[in-house]
Amino acid sequence: MRSPRRRVVAGLLLAPVLTGCFASGGDTDVDSAEGSRLRVALAFPPAENFSPYGADATLLSRLGVTEGLTKLDANGAAAPALAESWTRENDRNWLFTLREATFQDGTEVTPATVAAALTHATEAEPVTAALSGVTLTAKKSGDRQVRVTTEDPDPALPLRLTSPGLAILSAKAYAAERVNPVGTATGPFEVTKVTGTTAATLDRFDEYWGGRAQASGVDARFIADGTARTNALRTDQVDLAEAVPVSQASTLDKGTRHETATTRTTSLLLNTKSGAFKDPKLRAAAREAVDGSVLAKDVYEGYADAGAGIFGPAVTWAADKRLEPSGRAKATDPDGTSVTIATYDNRPELPEVAQVLQQQLQKAGFKVKLEVREYSRLESDALAGEFDAFVGARNSLLDTGDPVSILASDFSCAGSYNLALLCDKKVDRAVAAAEKESDTAKRQQAAMNAEAAILATDATVPLVHQQIITGVATSVRGVTYDPYERTLIGTGTRR
Amino acid sequence: MLAAVRDELGLDAGPSKLLGEWLGGLARGDAGRSWISGGEVTPSVVQALGVSLLLMAAALVVAAVTAAAVCARTLWLGAHRRLGDRSGGSVAAMTAALPEFLTASVLATAVGVHLGWLPALGWYGPRWMVLPALALGLPAGALLGRMLDDLLPGAFAEPWALAAAARGIPGRVIARQTVRRCIPGLLPNTGLFVVGLTGGAVTVEQIFDIPGLGRTTLQAAIAQDLPVLQAGTLALVLLAAVAGALARPAARLLIGPALRDGALHSLHRPKPPAPRRTPLLHGTLLLAVVVLGLARDPLALDTGARLQPPSWAHPLGTDALGRDLLARIGHGAFTTLALAVAISAAALLTGLLLGLLPRLSGPLVDTVNAVPAVLAGLLVAGVAGSGAATPAPAVAAVAWVPLAAHTTALLEQERATTHITATKGLGAGHAHLLRHELLPAVLPPVARHALLRLPAVALALTSLGFLGLGSRPPAPEWGLLLAENQPYAERAPWAVLAPAAALALLGALAVTAADGVRLPRPFAGAPRRPKPAVAPLVGETG
Repeated sequence: MRSPRRRVVAGLLLAPVLTGCFASGGDTDVDSAEGSRLRVALAFPPAENFSPYGADATLLSRLGVTEGLTKLDANGAAAPALAESWTRENDRNWLFTLREATFQDGTEVTPATVAAALTHATEAEPVTAALSGVTLTAKKSGDRQVRVTTEDPDPALPLRLTSPGLAILSAKAYAAERVNPVGTATGPFEVTKVTGTTAATLDRFDEYWGGRAQASGVDARFIADGTARTNALRTDQVDLAEAVPVSQASTLDKGTRHETATTRTTSLLLNTKSGAFKDPKLRAAAREAVDGSVLAKDVYEGYADAGAGIFGPAVTWAADKRLEPSGRAKATDPDGTSVTIATYDNRPELPEVAQVLQQQLQKAGFKVKLEVREYSRLESDALAGEFDAFVGARNSLLDTGDPVSILASDFSCAGSYNLALLCDKKVDRAVAAAEKESDTAKRQQAAMNAEAAILATDATVPLVHQQIITGVATSVRGVTYDPYERTLIGTGTRR
Repeated sequence: MLAAVRDELGLDAGPSKLLGEWLGGLARGDAGRSWISGGEVTPSVVQALGVSLLLMAAALVVAAVTAAAVCARTLWLGAHRRLGDRSGGSVAAMTAALPEFLTASVLATAVGVHLGWLPALGWYGPRWMVLPALALGLPAGALLGRMLDDLLPGAFAEPWALAAAARGIPGRVIARQTVRRCIPGLLPNTGLFVVGLTGGAVTVEQIFDIPGLGRTTLQAAIAQDLPVLQAGTLALVLLAAVAGALARPAARLLIGPALRDGALHSLHRPKPPAPRRTPLLHGTLLLAVVVLGLARDPLALDTGARLQPPSWAHPLGTDALGRDLLARIGHGAFTTLALAVAISAAALLTGLLLGLLPRLSGPLVDTVNAVPAVLAGLLVAGVAGSGAATPAPAVAAVAWVPLAAHTTALLEQERATTHITATKGLGAGHAHLLRHELLPAVLPPVARHALLRLPAVALALTSLGFLGLGSRPPAPEWGLLLAENQPYAERAPWAVLAPAAALALLGALAVTAADGVRLPRPFAGAPRRPKPAVAPLVGETG
């Protein structure tokens, strides 16, 4: 038998060891006269150590940490951010005039630092999505201006610069081998502490050019599981939970549930290169068999709109400019043609969507097999054309904010994310025509022309336009509900 | 671009040089940098390991309490020498068959959200440990408790216990000594639990948002972040080695002298358990559900009637797409059971064969047990490609481990029994001993152990589904039913409770039926022991 005293000593020695085994930062609920801190549950943990060039870029812009030269306004046009104004000097040169702003490390935002930041972005490996296929150089021009030159004419450059991947960071961020946005960005909040992939602490940046934020800071937690995220809000562990899954939405009170139409479209992409759907008549049969309104009403429980086109109702200008697709093939009887539909389960609704589609297509006479995997285990096979059809959700404006670039990457012969494996002369011509337009309204119209050309091939069948559900505690005000999913917390967010 | 990535990660050097460098760095505590995040691997893995160990320790406490509760009745009866009227065990078997993620989500919603007694998620202090530890510890404790409970009557019937009782030693002292007598047979399996709970608690870690090692390793495996995966797996393998190394001396400490001197008794039960009606009841119920379900269409979607509560039209309610649950359970029974039974049989065979060769299987058990089924699935998929048949070998590759550990433990004790010494003294050879004495003693308990793990095998098969392995929606496979209805557990509890109840019934059926099973005697002329099949031994696991 050990003596009791030794047990006590052992217990005392063990205690600090054990506390090391807990996650830090549970109750950081410090309210002060300066405004209280916001507690936020985010869905996607930082995958690349907050590198601004990859998937974490949106994370930083949603938390109000980083900004680019321009930002998207509600109508999908480029609006001033760090750049006050800009002019197009000629086909390939743009001149951006900077506003007076300070980095979070105290240094001034100067043309030289901005040019350096953009240059670093162009040199990133792998290249950030907004710059894929684009070569640009940035040079300072005088006291307050930066000249951006593209190798090929790029009428959508201001839109491109809205991308979270092209955030402007101070010189200090690029000093080390990895780009480090901690305390080097320009937004209303600065990252002060990162706890692995579980949490991040943000403090208000008092010298923000757009005015001081109302919340004194943000405690962000990354909770990948949708139910857990919702539970965190329900048990008052957080004030704000992003991306509440549809299955959990009804467990939240009506007052805490906010749905926002997004530019994310779930569609059925048909493999036009090989397999059964190479035949346009069968594609037409599939299009006629599929009914998106059932999906919107039942699978998405009303948190979605039935598919109208590649661009949904959240793209405010799209509906007025939409053309009816012409020259579609006539549907033929599938007569037992067997097809494989692939989808991924990272978004929990997609397997359900695929199962409903399976029944709809089977009723029309197809034989349907399903293939459900984790996304990373599916993408390469899908791009290689191993499946006849693919059900996926795609944000139609995320990377660049430019409607044309998604059409080019997803549906043109040279596209890098062409899951329908579409290579159609008419589509390529329409996309190329849209790429040349520089006037915003004309570019949007040209994009809709291209959309009609793509829909005419039946390579994609838009199913639903998703809404995101944000869970917000009743005490919280001023959350930015952004259809582009790029912002969430701003200067006006408070509780 | 690929070249750029290769260059950045320094992959040009070739695998052997890279592995050498990694091992070299490891000696200095540097496991390299993550390919995904670029962060140091060592601190993050050490942190995750600490979290997981703490969770495992808490779960073990819960498991011990659960096991004690399961055994309490037998101990009380034994202490009062009234073991004859002992029966039951279905409840424990049903608890052991409960999937962790179901217990976890029920606890998080009921206790965490609705009652608000304990935090529903997070990992910030002792209060946060209770619910996850319960979710992990309850099924594990029920399983260990069942094992112990089956051994106790044998120990109570040993001569020393009788002698002690005759001498007037209090019943609780005898009860304590019987527990001590039986624990060594459980130690190898407890060691396996320790490792299994540390690396394999992925779903519980997700539901409670715990930054543990299981989640870290799995995410690394999916993202193909090799340095993190290597370090995480290495940590698990080391832990397995430590747990294995500790279990053996602990067993020796408890019954070492008797083992050395060959002075143990075979833990015979005083009398074979009376054939019971319970298996008949479980079996009829399960069969009724299956037969009724088979008459219905498991694939007919009716999205208008989703998540309907049980009614005459849908006796068990409907799922998220409006399909009839009774039909899905009925149609899923065959595919679920056929594969699970086949894998269990293969695992039993492998486990027995390898368990007979402890020198070979000992290290193998420790290593393989450190690999969670999901990782095994990824490995098998990497080697064999992700076909529909991949999950079966993946699960079989890990399912034999506890059975082999069990066989070894039984064998060690059986070899030290007095009747083996006697048989040797009569001139029996190795082959004779193995065939007529050791195998008949070892086979039945291990077979029953395999049966008890049947539901777990069925669940493990499903856990590989998200890798694109195994059955796909809309197949009505039981594990898949549980997984696809889990998000709706709060709104439509029947959608998860029905398949969970079916699994629990299966577990109870397997356990209670095993009591009545009379395995044929290996050879017609088998000597002496009248009913070898119902002579469970130390290490008996029910």
